[in-house]
Amino acid sequence: MANTEAATLPTPSLATPSSGGLLVALSSTSAESLSATLATLAEAFSGQSVLVISPDDLPQDEALGSNLTFLPPSDTAVTAGSWLLTPPELLGAFRQMALHGATAGLVLGPEAHSLAPAVLRSLADSVLSGGADLGVPDYQLGPREGLFNSALLYPLSRSLYNAQPRYPLALDLALSRRAADRLSAAVHKTSTVANGIFWPVAEAAIAGLRVEQVEAGTRTLPPPSVSDLNTLLAQIGGSLFADIEAKAAFWQRSRPNQPALTDTRVATETDEPADVQALIEDFRVANTNLREIWSLVLPPQSLFGLKKLSLLDAPDFRMPAALWARMVYDFVLAFRLRTLNRGHLLGALTPLYLAWVASHLLVLDSGIPPEQHVEETAAAFESEKPYFVSRWRWPDRFNP
Amino acid sequence: MPQVPTNIYDPVVVAHPSLWHQVGDSLSDSMHRSFVKLASFLPGVLSLLIAVLIMTGVGALLSVALRRILVKINFDERLNRNNNASLSDFSPAHSPTLLVTRVVFWGCVLLGFVIGISALDASFSNSSQVSIFLLPYVAHSIGALFLLAAGTILARFLSRSVLIGGVNAKLQYARFLSLGVKWLVLTLTGAMILDHLGIGGTIIELAFGILFGGIVLTLALAVGLGSRDIVSRSLERSADRLPTIDPNSPAPRPTPTPASNLRHF
Repeated sequence: MANTEAATLPTPSLATPSSGGLLVALSSTSAESLSATLATLAEAFSGQSVLVISPDDLPQDEALGSNLTFLPPSDTAVTAGSWLLTPPELLGAFRQMALHGATAGLVLGPEAHSLAPAVLRSLADSVLSGGADLGVPDYQLGPREGLFNSALLYPLSRSLYNAQPRYPLALDLALSRRAADRLSAAVHKTSTVANGIFWPVAEAAIAGLRVEQVEAGTRTLPPPSVSDLNTLLAQIGGSLFADIEAKAAFWQRSRPNQPALTDTRVATETDEPADVQALIEDFRVANTNLREIWSLVLPPQSLFGLKKLSLLDAPDFRMPAALWARMVYDFVLAFRLRTLNRGHLLGALTPLYLAWVASHLLVLDSGIPPEQHVEETAAAFESEKPYFVSRWRWPDRFNP
Repeated sequence: MPQVPTNIYDPVVVAHPSLWHQVGDSLSDSMHRSFVKLASFLPGVLSLLIAVLIMTGVGALLSVALRRILVKINFDERLNRNNNASLSDFSPAHSPTLLVTRVVFWGCVLLGFVIGISALDASFSNSSQVSIFLLPYVAHSIGALFLLAAGTILARFLSRSVLIGGVNAKLQYARFLSLGVKWLVLTLTGAMILDHLGIGGTIIELAFGILFGGIVLTLALAVGLGSRDIVSRSLERSADRLPTIDPNSPAPRPTPTPASNLRHF
């Protein structure tokens, strides 16, 4: 794509800082991906001056738009092979925004070249002219993608922070200058924690920033840096639970008051029914072996629900949304109380999550659209929030 | 004292003390000895208490001073920046500063106990039976208690790690493995405690060797026999991957994994 535009687009200007406008911060990526992203940016913001910063060497011989001004690489430490936006990357972007007086910033994660130019434009417009402080993309993923986000991240973010974005841990963000100023302290705090993950939507909710969701279409998701599912769940789940613990003073006061989003996405057809028999068998094995550990975390009612679930045949295997919501809340509470070692706790959550995945896939096979089931799950998290708040405040109270 | 008879034909009368008189004397002597021992024991106990109290105070002062210094130099942030996540995870409230100050405090308290027990030891004469028989057990029983606590905690931690890891690795016999690990560690701890207390002598070593070896052998046999089919299937798959000699034989097809098309993140 970049080569075809070589003849039509003039050479970009080099490192001439200007004030105002948009600053785009790119994540470390391959040379091909970088060239493609720059071409997409040139197309998206044709006729508008854009400052671009990247930790990688920007290609000088590629033909790119004259509207792109390349800034010298910052001294920000870049995490090699990172598949999420890292706090140092965000800090670097905020610093450059302040340095060059940019009114808005667009922070793009790895594989950003798969985003359409119109999406990049919409994201930037949400903060440049839309009045929002934080623009979060709403990716259109397949029904079997982003499952952890559907099971945990989105429902928890919606119920606890009243935040509507479907992807609270989005790979791309648009920020106003105000948002950058307000979030920089939180990002800095996260950057002091090893492998810390910054939760932009939760922080924006606490800072009172206006968040807008932007239709982003399909996007190529970078592969996670760790292939082991248990390690990934522990990493992301542990960070999420720690973040919830740190923001307890906020979410205990807030109440769900925003209407659920109307899904405008086109339902994607699944090619064939999912083979969930192995997932269900794994859950049954876990239910036999881990009951002793689960009983330290879950109340008898939830344990009884799990026992009933384990006795169901595969076609009828459905995890009730309320049961799933309560179990997640109980695990967050156990994380806070250190009922057992946190690594063990998150390891014990994995089979329950996989049981939810099996149930979700069976629901999809029955013809229910994936977004409808995800919304039902999120609604259950909202309705069970009083249970969570009550247990958080009085964890020793009798809980049958 | 026998009375000397004036007449050789007079009977000799010997003044024997009564039985009760002797019992009373014996008890009186025993009480006297016990009180003497107790009197020599009390200063030692008092010095133990004073040593513990002083060292507790010193520990409190040191921990407060250390906490102020560490907070001033941003110890937590520096440590987290150097990827010491595990230390932060083990620390109370994710604060390594708190962990360090608590370790210093309890270290001082422990030192107070050590000094006190030494003082207690010194307050007895070397010939004292109490010193010979009781004190080694007092000192060793503290060590044994530490061993017991550490062994129990380690056994529980390892058994849970094995259980959760086994379940997530989809092992049917995860619980059995977990129980095996737990009892291995507990057996080892028990043997170490008895050895530390000097009870049983070589019998303990012998019994432990037999027991430990027996458990390991049982586990090996159980896992080996239980997973015989898995091993044979694995070997068959390995053999299938080797280039086939017969060119007409069909190539082995990869086994489909049910959840391979799922994307969690």
